[in-house]
Amino acid sequence: MNVAKDAMGLGLRVLNRFAGLKAVDKLGLRKPAEKAIFGASRAGFATVGAASRVFKSTQKLVQPARLTQRSGDGLFDLTPSEEQEMLRDSCRSFADEQLRPAALAADTACAATPELLASASELGIHLLGLPESLGGAGQERSAMTSVLVAEALAHGDLSLAVACLAPSAVSNALVLWGDSEQQSAYLPAFAGEKSPAAALAIQEPSALFDPFKLSVKARRTPDGYVLDGVKSLVPRAAQAELFIVAAHLEGRGPALFIVESSTAGLSIQAEPAMGLRAAATGRVVLDNVVLANRALLGNGSADIYATCISLARVGWCAVAVGTAQAALDYLVPYVNERVAFGEPISHRQAVAFTVANAAIEIEGMRLLTYRAASRAEQSKSFFEETALARRLCADKGMQIGSDAVQLLGGHGFVKEHPAERWYRDLRAVGFIEGVLLV
Amino acid sequence: MKALVSVKRAVDYNVRIQVKPDGSGVVTEGVKHSMNPFDEIAMEEAVRLKEKGKITEIIAITVGGAKNEETLRSALAFGADRAIHIKEEGEIQPLTAAKALAAAFKKEGAQVFFAGKQAIDDDANQTGQMVASLLDLPQATFASKVELDGNKATVTREVDAGLETLEVDLPAVITADLRLNEPRYLKLPDIMKAKKKPIDVQSFSSLGVTPGAGLKTTKTSAPPKRSKGIVVKTVDELVAALKGKGLL
Repeated sequence: MNVAKDAMGLGLRVLNRFAGLKAVDKLGLRKPAEKAIFGASRAGFATVGAASRVFKSTQKLVQPARLTQRSGDGLFDLTPSEEQEMLRDSCRSFADEQLRPAALAADTACAATPELLASASELGIHLLGLPESLGGAGQERSAMTSVLVAEALAHGDLSLAVACLAPSAVSNALVLWGDSEQQSAYLPAFAGEKSPAAALAIQEPSALFDPFKLSVKARRTPDGYVLDGVKSLVPRAAQAELFIVAAHLEGRGPALFIVESSTAGLSIQAEPAMGLRAAATGRVVLDNVVLANRALLGNGSADIYATCISLARVGWCAVAVGTAQAALDYLVPYVNERVAFGEPISHRQAVAFTVANAAIEIEGMRLLTYRAASRAEQSKSFFEETALARRLCADKGMQIGSDAVQLLGGHGFVKEHPAERWYRDLRAVGFIEGVLLV
Repeated sequence: MKALVSVKRAVDYNVRIQVKPDGSGVVTEGVKHSMNPFDEIAMEEAVRLKEKGKITEIIAITVGGAKNEETLRSALAFGADRAIHIKEEGEIQPLTAAKALAAAFKKEGAQVFFAGKQAIDDDANQTGQMVASLLDLPQATFASKVELDGNKATVTREVDAGLETLEVDLPAVITADLRLNEPRYLKLPDIMKAKKKPIDVQSFSSLGVTPGAGLKTTKTSAPPKRSKGIVVKTVDELVAALKGKGLL
């Protein structure tokens, strides 16, 4: 140690003497010399400190010690089960081969063709959440599986995915909260290969719509309820045979009502929008709609209503993830193949960074969505997780849609490419309520 | 009538295949696998024939490691009634697989052996033919149309000169070509039901098959990269370029 100190002292003395020479200034070496002294002394002191420790083995190991490998079922293993993968793959093939090619026409026509909806129905999406005792295929409740299915379908097209999933939202709500009388009245119709068109109606045409402050009112009467008000952006409104309508039950708060579309006083107005066009959105006008006692779902419980809103939001996050992923999958080959100024546009940082950011954001959206769904299916509180997922999916979904249009340049703006449609559809994620239910 | 449908787990057709750096094969770790597409077509045909009432029971069969169970589950979701898994890890040679499949076919007393014309991984195009030879059965390969009638099968096959129609006595081996049919999407409820259907696990020894080692892969290499094309301005230049390459 003394040797080290002495050596350092000697070195510093040499450097200092060198620094003192007038020639140093003459040759313009003043700054570098000072730097050298500073650097040398700092490194020297660090060496002195490190040299003071003596490493000695205190025990002899026969073999190296390592921490054991954790098994795969830990906190961060998000691998879907084999069955979930098969479900997802089947939906994904259907989405990419059937929904995607039909999306432009459906968007223009503001409706999906009956054949397309029938083939989606044949796929049996609506049977997943229906118990086997009622002719469905569901065994255990899995919000995660529903999320994977919704995400896969939305990879084909968001609006068509919404159209395909709308009936399941109603059957899922009935399975979750319907009493035996309600279930036996409505669920058998959903058990066949052709599910009835049905939809949740939560959204209202009001500024700053809040699903917990509804303007559709439900009045208690001696025999049941009377509903008044307007619901908006209800998918497949004109075809739907059954609605679940959110209304403010006087003296209680927001609640869900089962409303058959043939009920007197109920009328439908088409309401084509910027996005979700293939979902054939419409307004449901309720004018003095008289309902029987059994129309109230889940006894009007506030918890059930809040859960319904959250599950619907998770559903929206899932379709946002699917469509954002579709946009990314479309962008990557495009920016690598599109040549401008003699090279692929992906060689430009502005393009490459945008694509990389989209990939990062999508994974974030996906993780938050999966987390919310996973907590929901375990019956843990998932409201906060849902709120986070919704915020991120709304912001980033829209951003990714917009970036997709931007990176496609002139192609992004025309309907020949799907980017502009995805952008319009992804804009819905931020404000729409209660169309899907996972 | 019982049909045995052979399904193979292969690297998914969408995956860009990468050769291992040491040339010992292609990368299969962490790569998406699915049912060989030609086997899917064979499976679909069997299911359609069952729907028409020509076949009463469909048994899916595969040879390979534990992961092949996935493939059997998709076969069960397609509509197979039950499955046989000849569980053997490691590389399996075509002849060994054919022997095992033939033994299972005999054991089950099935009438039709369906398979894809070839698997998209090794393109061997041998299994169906070998099974037929081992069992001394008639074979109708590359089928583009299949009709079963009593103890006969009428099979249209695509050959270079056009279409050839064969009539074979059952039991027989039929392998599916691309245009035989278009496989359906797996219905979600069928996927859920598939896990309840039984899978019978067998092995080479339980079927009395001794694995052979007649074939050895010595080297796997990627196809040569396509070189960039050249642009010619005039016809003369084109002719000169073709002549230069000895093509004219």
